Amino acid sequence: MPLADPRPRWRPLFWLLWGLVLAAVVTTIIRFATGIATIANVNQAYPWGWWVGFDMLTRIALGGVGFTMAAAGEIFDIRGFRHVVRAALLVGLLFYLTYAAVLIVELGRPWMIWWVFLSWAPTSAMYEVALCAVAYTTVLILEFSPLVLAKLGRTVTVRRINAVYMLIVITGISLSSLHQSSLGTLLMLLPTKVNPLWHSELLPVFFLFSAIMAGPAVMLVEHTVATHFLRRQPRMNVLISLGRGLTVLIVLYLALRLGDVLYRGVADQALSFGFEARWFWLEIVIGLLAPLALLLTPDIEQRKWRLCAAGACVVIGVVLNRLNAAVITMKVHSWETYHPAITEVLISVGALAAMVLAYAYLVRWLPIHTEPPLTPGSATAPSPSDGLARVAS
Amino acid sequence: MAPKAMIQDNTRCIGCRACMVACKSWNDLPGDVSTFFAGPGYQNPRDLDPHNYTVITYKGIEAGPNGRPDWVFGRLMCMHCVEPACVSACPTTALTKSPEGAVVFNSWRCIGCRYCMQACPFVVPKFDFDRVVPAIHKCTFCADRIQVGRDPACAQVCPTGAITFGDRDDMVQEARRRIAAAPGAYVPHIYGLNEVGGTSVLHLSSVPFEQLGYPANLPDKPPPDLTVKVLHFTPKIFTTVWVTMAVVAMIIRRRIRFWVHDEHDDHDDHDEAERAPR
Repeated sequence: MPLADPRPRWRPLFWLLWGLVLAAVVTTIIRFATGIATIANVNQAYPWGWWVGFDMLTRIALGGVGFTMAAAGEIFDIRGFRHVVRAALLVGLLFYLTYAAVLIVELGRPWMIWWVFLSWAPTSAMYEVALCAVAYTTVLILEFSPLVLAKLGRTVTVRRINAVYMLIVITGISLSSLHQSSLGTLLMLLPTKVNPLWHSELLPVFFLFSAIMAGPAVMLVEHTVATHFLRRQPRMNVLISLGRGLTVLIVLYLALRLGDVLYRGVADQALSFGFEARWFWLEIVIGLLAPLALLLTPDIEQRKWRLCAAGACVVIGVVLNRLNAAVITMKVHSWETYHPAITEVLISVGALAAMVLAYAYLVRWLPIHTEPPLTPGSATAPSPSDGLARVAS
Repeated sequence: MAPKAMIQDNTRCIGCRACMVACKSWNDLPGDVSTFFAGPGYQNPRDLDPHNYTVITYKGIEAGPNGRPDWVFGRLMCMHCVEPACVSACPTTALTKSPEGAVVFNSWRCIGCRYCMQACPFVVPKFDFDRVVPAIHKCTFCADRIQVGRDPACAQVCPTGAITFGDRDDMVQEARRRIAAAPGAYVPHIYGLNEVGGTSVLHLSSVPFEQLGYPANLPDKPPPDLTVKVLHFTPKIFTTVWVTMAVVAMIIRRRIRFWVHDEHDDHDDHDEAERAPR
């Protein structure tokens, strides 16, 4: 495996990513030597902060790309989707593994984590998230392992896993529906702290729904960017289907979200344009209205970068939604607000950099993107079925 | 043993902080070098922290009972909710509710997720953010003393009878009696009777509780009611999704086998040879 991108153009980027990972590792060492307070602004009133808002709630939501694409490709067998499931599983797995890495920094006593598996706490959403997330990470590893094992020549093991592959996929989808929604239940227990614009009895539904919505969104970004960097022909038929699916999901989610705000009688707060309302509308406009507008443009099916932008908007919207609910608008009685420390964010950024690096190396090593390479011919003579005409040029 | 409760009668409090000293003493809590801070007068420390399980709060008001500026006192401590959100939140059952009503913490089981701190509507559990081996700290209701039939340390030392301890039913009666006996001296509200489903510490005050800095407008419904009913569906959700997905997969896979040469076949992509071995 090469240690840096073979193309010299991108080498500085790779060294930057390695630098960020190193900085996060150093910060982690400082945290374990001196305590959380040295590197984080989490405090007695805001004990969660950025790490839970971003690394737990958001990473797991975006990691939902694994189960949504597995469902679309393997269960519903949508045309062409089976070819992108591998990439989706890899991205999902990396999101979950980096979440686990940050969790070790975030937890106060990570060396006691095994107590979760020896406890019985069915009233705790955190307990359910912990068990299901661990189980689902195992599922993701199993789902992804045939690629690695085949590369290592372990064909017997591959055959054994493939014999129960569908059962693994189905179990993964069930586990995901549980812990994705339980992240919403987690915040539902805090009616006095979570702002009414986000606190709803439908929070579990919203969190599951937006995780499903994040699936095609992450996939759109991943596929366009990956095929661009790897100089492959993008699968336009898949991108178009993802865009269509995303359109439907955005419309449904938008209706549900605004309907809920109206039904719970907090619409006047949304229209007040106070601090919370501005973040609420930022989330709605960037995360839902902007991608919807992009996706409804007439020539979207020939514009891969516009599809990618729509996906990116939805991703940003999901990030904003989780941060809004758990960090930005969270208010604790008689305490000032919380702002994350730079080192706190650095841990997350380092984990993201590690994700990008792991991804960049693994896509070169494993047959994840097997699309044919871009050739001068493909630009001038596109096949009529896959709408490559504009994107390749 | 019947559930216990404590009346914190803030009208009788003189702000001597004997309860804070007794609490430190019984729980072996270290002393802190602390400083006065801008704001509510002689209050110190500012809030609960890992070394202070209870704090007497000081608020100056414009017009006291005799029309002159006056102090009103309040008290921060664990409310020992009847249905504690922190206990429902703990993923390792490190927090438990004893039959006497005390919410107690077992640091050995704690993983440091701090969900109890988030869950608490009164912002009570505190965490050693500055320690390498941290833990959660909170008032124990002196569960060890209650078990042997003694009052909590703070109730034992209070020199003015502002803290009264006994069975919760008796304490509710007593609180009602005090308000009825001196309607002018109290606001007609027992803080903790219905807040978040009821607590084991019942506060009385001469001024509205918002003025004391207590969280106002708390729901009467215990927060765990919101989540437990959802989590109750866990096995059903798992089974439903599992069966649905299995049925859908079987139907759709069969369709493909029937129409394998149909135009719906997805093999229009370019890399059949390179598919992962299945």
